[in-house]
Amino acid sequence: MVNFGFKLSSSKRIDLDSSDSDLFLKLKAESGTITQCIACGSCASSCSAGNFTPVNFRKAILLIERGRNEEAKELIKGCMLCGKCTLVCPRGINTREIILSINQYYKKERF
Amino acid sequence: MEGDVLVIGGGPAGMETASRISDFNRNVILIEKERELGGHILKWDRLFPDGVPASDVNNNLKESLGTTKVLLGNYLISIEKREDYHFIAQLNSGEIIKCSTVVFATGFKLFPAQKKQEYGYGLYERVITNADLETRFKKGDGLGKESPKRIGFVHCVGSRDEKICNKQCSKLCCITAIKQAIELKQLYPDTEIYCFYMDLRMYGRGYEDLYLEAQLKYGIRFIRGRVSEISQDQSGLVIVKAEDTLSSRPLKITLDWVILMAGIISERENDFLTQQLSLQLGEDGFINSVDPIQKTNQTNISGVFVTGSATGPKTLPEVINEARSTALSVNEYLNRVKNG
Amino acid sequence: MKERIIFGYDPFVIPFTLGVIFIMLYLGTGTLRILLSLSRKEALNLLRSIFSVKIFKTIKDILFDVLLHVKIFKRNILLGYMHASIAFGWFMLIFIGHIEVILYTPQRNGVIYYPVFFRYFVMETSQTLRGAFFFFLMDLFLLIVLSGIALAIYKRFRSVRLGMKRTTRHKTGDKIALWSLWLIFPLRLVAESFTADISGGSFLTGTINTLMGRFVESTLYMDTLWWAYSCALALFLFALPFSRYMHIPTEILLIFLRNAGIKSTSSRNGFAESEIYSCSSCGICIDACPMSVVDEKSNYTSVYLLRKLRRRKLDSLFLAEQCLMCGKCVELCPVEIDSCRLKFLKKRENFPDQIFDYNYLSKKHPEFKSSINRQDREKVLYYAGCMTHLTPQIYKSLFNIMDKAQIDYSFMDRDGSICCGRPLILAGGERAAKELIRVNSELIIRANAGILLLSCPICYKVFKENYSLNGVEVMHHSQYINLLIKQGKIKLKKGDFSVVYHDPCDLGRGSGVYSEPRAVISSAAVLKESSNLPAESICCGGSLASRRFSQSERESVTLHSLEKLNINNPEKLITACPLCLRSFSKLNKRETLDIAQLVEEQMI
Repeated sequence: MVNFGFKLSSSKRIDLDSSDSDLFLKLKAESGTITQCIACGSCASSCSAGNFTPVNFRKAILLIERGRNEEAKELIKGCMLCGKCTLVCPRGINTREIILSINQYYKKERF
Repeated sequence: MEGDVLVIGGGPAGMETASRISDFNRNVILIEKERELGGHILKWDRLFPDGVPASDVNNNLKESLGTTKVLLGNYLISIEKREDYHFIAQLNSGEIIKCSTVVFATGFKLFPAQKKQEYGYGLYERVITNADLETRFKKGDGLGKESPKRIGFVHCVGSRDEKICNKQCSKLCCITAIKQAIELKQLYPDTEIYCFYMDLRMYGRGYEDLYLEAQLKYGIRFIRGRVSEISQDQSGLVIVKAEDTLSSRPLKITLDWVILMAGIISERENDFLTQQLSLQLGEDGFINSVDPIQKTNQTNISGVFVTGSATGPKTLPEVINEARSTALSVNEYLNRVKNG
Repeated sequence: MKERIIFGYDPFVIPFTLGVIFIMLYLGTGTLRILLSLSRKEALNLLRSIFSVKIFKTIKDILFDVLLHVKIFKRNILLGYMHASIAFGWFMLIFIGHIEVILYTPQRNGVIYYPVFFRYFVMETSQTLRGAFFFFLMDLFLLIVLSGIALAIYKRFRSVRLGMKRTTRHKTGDKIALWSLWLIFPLRLVAESFTADISGGSFLTGTINTLMGRFVESTLYMDTLWWAYSCALALFLFALPFSRYMHIPTEILLIFLRNAGIKSTSSRNGFAESEIYSCSSCGICIDACPMSVVDEKSNYTSVYLLRKLRRRKLDSLFLAEQCLMCGKCVELCPVEIDSCRLKFLKKRENFPDQIFDYNYLSKKHPEFKSSINRQDREKVLYYAGCMTHLTPQIYKSLFNIMDKAQIDYSFMDRDGSICCGRPLILAGGERAAKELIRVNSELIIRANAGILLLSCPICYKVFKENYSLNGVEVMHHSQYINLLIKQGKIKLKKGDFSVVYHDPCDLGRGSGVYSEPRAVISSAAVLKESSNLPAESICCGGSLASRRFSQSERESVTLHSLEKLNINNPEKLITACPLCLRSFSKLNKRETLDIAQLVEEQMI
């Protein structure tokens, strides 16, 4: 490979060749609905916590699908589980279940 | 009353089918539940993509009806297929119709927007539907004499939405919204117009050009995000909440008017008829074709044809073309059963 | 009465005696374990409830629930008779046996097996008064028990006949205990019959003895049958701890603890253990549960959860997460096991508290600053909550009503709010919810209103139970509208259309609000009954508690609930919860309205 004397920053690029799909596959197995998202943003828009925090379910599951789990975690930890997003989702995604599952996953990882 | 063909529904699909079948010197009966022919285009002012007046199209369709027997204010209360290939239908007037084929040109229904409760249609005066807007255009009122400050279009109301049991894409609303937005901009050049969309499906010829024109010439702004809630402030203006998905932030905007793009759903009022004939319906409630590629206008029951939006959302050119092909199929069928 | 056997002993008593010793030790240690797990305060409460007038209630409860099964009687007479005949009949057999021992063979007092095998060891003729009296009594109760057993056997094979669509599946322990229980009494009957010509008998045993005497030599089989009887008893006693019949002794302990006001604090140990072992696996909760509409989900009903908890199965959490927490099973449970609380505790024990982070609430956000100045206590503070924001028709109607009544109110969360915390609690995050509750309480108290008005029963329940709001009165809008009508501030004209009212779970069963909404509706329309009692209303399917329900499964629950509601063909369906309104209006072919909308329409 030609050395141009600089490197592409690996942290910026989503590298699907080596992304960590463990969490995504787990969530997919547990509740298939995670794959149904059409990124309409209803969840993030209706979110009770979204006004004050970075909580954004749509982006979180997109990031998980892309293997950026740590970034995703930051986007749901302020969720109050009120369930509005489940009610407005036009695709019938079980959002609350997915949020709980992500957090359960991290609980098992860490503790 | 006796005839070769009974066409149910006097919208564009029904009228075009009826007139083309009568061209074959067949005896056609067309029934329409309203007092006037035209169906949905009666309520529409101008049509995309070029803004042709809907009444012109309707008049052309009516003029070419020829020898078709038109029964207005009539609808079926029962229908039955006899052992021989005949159908016996009873009308609300008590009249009995005997015919050899039946064509369902029963069309569609606009989604009743009040069912999408969080949008507050029927609750807030300044939340109206695409059909309401056309009625206003037709009357020449627009949105009032004074130029509104901001108007928002909400796409996909009652389409692509599992929560109100309509999963299908209505196909026409994207381009309709752009057509209406341009019309409003022509009426009120100083008004800011926003379109809230999930996906913009500009699939037809000239549609993408219209989209580009909306952006370039009229400065209509497009926000990618589905509206989740609409509320009202004390002065009666409406507040729309959505996510600006492209910048990943929740967004809020106060608007003078909100236009809901009510989607196309199946006309459930005819379910009893399709049941009596044991026609197959899809999960979305539209009638299923026996073959979705080569026999789009034939149903699972021989002698029963279907045309236009009764099999799903369609644009007017598609409806007209399909109506003509249905006429051919019906004629072929009649030749076959009458000769053999 | 004369002792037939001088030493008062025969080897056939050994199996039974061992069984009794085993079960006594088992129950003793179990009770001790539960008692030791009580906190100091709970133990004191228990002592207080034993040594006070409360003991009479406990005794009454034991008599009514454990022996007579009054609650099951109310539900289904045949099923009640089945339970009562076995429990009460058996109790009387043991009780009268002891009286016989005390009266006639006081030297055998304290011999474990003596009262049970009294007929073998003591003889008497039915000619004497006391013989005739006791023989008659014993035969009568034996007959009652046998009739119960006969019903039980019938029920096992034809449960529908006893009013139950579904009944529980049995495990090995249950089967052994069940079969031995079925065997005990027929064997006792035959054994006592064979002995009747020696020891005496009454209308049942005496007659059978005479009849059988024609075919077989009774003395030949006598020993064998008493052995069989003793073995059946032993088998039952040894199987008891591993079977559902543990509910018989445990329920007595449960009643003592419950009457002392003790509540479960863990999903498996302490008080919970007494609840878990008190479950008789009767299966009433299976038919009661709204989940059971989805066939596969009937495996997740309370009875199976309790079974999993008892066996300390890991997937009990999965079952707890299925529940819609509507509380109907608790309402109908003949043993009054608060299985919803156990589910909640199970979820709480597994909740990932460490991950959720609500620090942002404490950083006083500018939008949370109260705009309300000091006002009088008449003022109403309205909190729509998350759900009502999705059904604006409810608050719009409510505001029109309050405007008409000239009420001074303010809308606390017009621009969005902090969630009330109940959805989080339902998911198990009780600790995490404390932060939400703290910040909301501050906001509400600072608003200086006299009444906190809510239109969402989910909020209502949590504000009532988990908040302390310095005397601010918490009201659901159905109660408040009722108050306005009573005060004459609004007047309604009664429409001639018929409606049915759906009790939202958290408002009816959850908070006991049944009469106010009905009073309001009755003055606005013709109120028809649904097919359920108010306390047995069926969840709309929208419950936030379950995280495992898919959309289509929710729809099945909704349709089932609608079917029961629309049984008397009402024109409209009225509810008082934004979630119910959403669930029902999606699938109901009739008009579905919130109570506030109905009142607004009928207001003069």
